[in-house]
Amino acid sequence: MLIDKKRVKRNKALDKFFRGFFMAMAILSSSFIVIIVLFVCAKGISPFLPGYEYGQVDLISFLTGSIYRQDQGIYGVGFIIINTLISAFLALVISFPLSVLTALFIAKIAPKKLSAAMQSVVELLAAVPSVVYGVFASGVITGVVEWIASLFGITTFGGSSLLAVVLLLAIMIFPTLTSMSITAIRAVDPNLEQASLALGATKTQTNFKICLTAAKSGIFAGAILGLGRAYGEATAVAMVAGNKLFGPTFNPFDITRTLTSTMLAGLKETTGLDYDIRFSVGLVLIVVIFFSNWILNMVKKRIGRNSVA
Amino acid sequence: METCFDVKNIDLFYGDKQALKDVNMEIYKNRVTAFIGPSGCGKSTFIRCLNRMNDLIEGCKVSGEIIKDGLDIYSPKQDIVDLRTRVGMVFQKPNPFPMSIYDNIAYGPRCQGLKDKKKLDEIVTTSLKQVALYDEVADRLGDSAIGLSGGQQQRLCIARCIAMSPEVILMDEPTSALDPISTSKIEDLCLELKKDYTIVIVTHNMQQAARISDYTAFFLLGEVVEMDETDTIFSHPKDKRTENYITGRFG
Repeated sequence: MLIDKKRVKRNKALDKFFRGFFMAMAILSSSFIVIIVLFVCAKGISPFLPGYEYGQVDLISFLTGSIYRQDQGIYGVGFIIINTLISAFLALVISFPLSVLTALFIAKIAPKKLSAAMQSVVELLAAVPSVVYGVFASGVITGVVEWIASLFGITTFGGSSLLAVVLLLAIMIFPTLTSMSITAIRAVDPNLEQASLALGATKTQTNFKICLTAAKSGIFAGAILGLGRAYGEATAVAMVAGNKLFGPTFNPFDITRTLTSTMLAGLKETTGLDYDIRFSVGLVLIVVIFFSNWILNMVKKRIGRNSVA
Repeated sequence: METCFDVKNIDLFYGDKQALKDVNMEIYKNRVTAFIGPSGCGKSTFIRCLNRMNDLIEGCKVSGEIIKDGLDIYSPKQDIVDLRTRVGMVFQKPNPFPMSIYDNIAYGPRCQGLKDKKKLDEIVTTSLKQVALYDEVADRLGDSAIGLSGGQQQRLCIARCIAMSPEVILMDEPTSALDPISTSKIEDLCLELKKDYTIVIVTHNMQQAARISDYTAFFLLGEVVEMDETDTIFSHPKDKRTENYITGRFG
């Protein structure tokens, strides 16, 4: 007899145990997220509640305010939200076409060896810690910005500027966008390419009209991830933003202030309201990212209807 | 009868492995020519020589000549885009592009630079009518082609090919992924289309070859064992191996 009844019973018990074990793990890890959000919410909301120990802050003027001065106790993040949206969005505008075309080259055009080498470079870029990007930005990008500004006869604050933030973020989200796009383009059914070539389309026509169209949903998913990174990047951004006290900043050569740089600047040297309010700013950031992702996902659904990857 | 392809001494290698050995044949205009043979016999490889789709496979080398309209299609003078617009292809698995029915058919002409909306409309309509798909989809040309059934998708792919007004349509096992009803529709279509086009079809199904083709070539291990009029091949095969195959003794 092959089937040992005892063994069957034991296997069943094991099965049950592992199912429970995996579930416990899943609950544990997802509960971290819940705990973090709850904690940030509780801390972040407290300054707006009556009876707050350092003096209640008005929620409306906090959300719509255009001045942020710790020294005077004025906290308005309205302009900072706009700054954050502008810098992340502009970074995406610069990085998106570059990444997609690079991905197309790596996935479809480059010879095998070059393609493999370039892909490892892209992956390496994704692994560089953000603080390293930050020192690069404050050492190099600011210099470039200063030079560009001097061409227009403008003086900058040592190169720290909206433009520097945008360029930095564009570089930082490039690896994410590119890797996602490569994956999406590689996932396109080779039969579609063959059909296109068999119809007398050139390689280039096939790459643009078939590969990119079929992969657009995956490419867009990369854009969403990249934008998320651009919103959330703190260390490097704080190193070149300049933390302006009022705004919003539309002039690319003027210093700016993002939600993340606001949270980070001087975090360790402060207490009381100025400390607590950073949780409120963090909460605003979470909400901004949530809304932006929600909108982009709707757009993705619309444009992705005819996509296969 | 006019010759469409004159194939002379074609040898084909994938790396070191020889996939076609000294293939010689004539393919006639406005006839249906079928290639039969067991899996791996080289029939699909050979049909892909006729529009040079084998160029896409790394390590694939072809020697010999395939003369079409006085020019060897493997000569450097042959423009490959021009060749593929004249020799269309339908694949084993229906492969509509992930776009609307209209855009699928307009794809080829658009790639050649045709922008005139009126002309495109006309091409789409006539192509769909020729494959008897027009009545089924006339009211939803803007819908995604992915939503069509397998049989409809394959007819769409044939229409997409016809839209280029090619001289030849190559079909690589076009019905192997389809149900019997869709299959018979495609077979009827082949008989209809041979008035205007030269058709070359690879098939796994001997009855299909017998039903629709005028000429049949039997491939085995990369060689053409025998090629003749379909009736002759199926009633009086000259080669023992052909007889064994069509009577179902192997393959």
